[in-house]
Amino acid sequence: MTSPDGSRQGRAGTRALPEDLDRDLMAVGLEQDPTAFRRLFADLAPRLKFFLIKGGMIESAAEDVLQETMMKVWRKAGLFDSSKASASTWVYTIARNVRIDRLRKENRPEPDPEDPCYVSEAPETGEQAVSRKQDRERIQKAMALLPPEQMTIIKMSFFDEKSHGEIAETLDIPLGTVKSRIRLAFGKIRAELEVL
Amino acid sequence: MSIRHHIGDDTLMAYVNGTLAESLSVVVATHLAICPKCRKSAELMEDMAGLLLMETETASLSAAEEAMAETIPVGVLQEDRILDRPKKTQGYSNTGVPMPLADRMPAALDDIPWRTLIPGISHYPLPRTGSSKEKGTLRLLKIAPGKTMPEHSHTGQELTLILRGSYIDDLGRFQAGDLADLDSDTLHQPVADTAEDCICLIATNAPLKFSGFFSRLLQPVFGI
Repeated sequence: MTSPDGSRQGRAGTRALPEDLDRDLMAVGLEQDPTAFRRLFADLAPRLKFFLIKGGMIESAAEDVLQETMMKVWRKAGLFDSSKASASTWVYTIARNVRIDRLRKENRPEPDPEDPCYVSEAPETGEQAVSRKQDRERIQKAMALLPPEQMTIIKMSFFDEKSHGEIAETLDIPLGTVKSRIRLAFGKIRAELEVL
Repeated sequence: MSIRHHIGDDTLMAYVNGTLAESLSVVVATHLAICPKCRKSAELMEDMAGLLLMETETASLSAAEEAMAETIPVGVLQEDRILDRPKKTQGYSNTGVPMPLADRMPAALDDIPWRTLIPGISHYPLPRTGSSKEKGTLRLLKIAPGKTMPEHSHTGQELTLILRGSYIDDLGRFQAGDLADLDSDTLHQPVADTAEDCICLIATNAPLKFSGFFSRLLQPVFGI
């Protein structure tokens, strides 16, 4: 639900539902809707900034990355496909790529589905094809079951722009422990996703 | 192609969040192009990042940042909007290998100007585009049937993607599409085990360490 001035209403707190974000991003893509963009911006920009600053970026650099990311969100929204990713995931990958470009002055090597050598997945059976919403809920449940020491490392790798070596130094644990905790965490998440 | 050896979750996670060295990222991206299973894992990791992003705290925005919400929609020209995925016009594989690798190859896999290292083993170093302060190497390696790579371990990480043929080492048999994700503590000595040359893409983020005396003499030859 949105009020005439375009802000969200009817919910306590400021957190938007994933479905709201998806809908707004699609409205930006299909109709260049500036009101939907303002809502997306209000939901995402303060979180993106938090993660950029926490990752060790100075204020002015974070402002540049935020600007470039949100410009790309506006320009590329037409490519967003809500059956493939949620809006927050899509925006995360854009912010990440902007950060990598700045850091290394290079394009991140990525597979390209148009490539004749690309191997597509076998078509999903009805059982496997669950909705994005169910997927999100299942992943969230599985993540909630991770022990704190595994979750800490996963959050540090996503948001602190730290290599596994740097995480090991920061936490004062061996590199092998960082790697094994990541492997354990994903092993557990995959196992949970199979039974949920 | 049935792939049995996949990217380790720790390596894939570093690729997903952008902290993996460029040389290693090229090997990961090339494997992802042919491995739906690993692509699914990468998607799971991105989904998690998206969920965690919405759970983070918020930072307060400066006035200039607040203004972006208004200025971006009016400031970006309609013609600058991207409505289709950019199509690559060239480079689509007559090289016979997936794009992330094909982009860095001087010629098709059949026409690589191999340089002999020792009899039966030749290589071709590939250019890297990223910042030069990153250590690490990216190259193609060709092992003739029955030949053995000198036994070595690594000071850092080594990723090997088999492009053609196969090899066997202590960790098992690696065939086309398989990826060996080796840490610094692993000592291995691959042997090409079919009648075909074994061609691999190898990236390291630190020099190899050869363990035998004669092998150590090779260190300058391998030059890595």
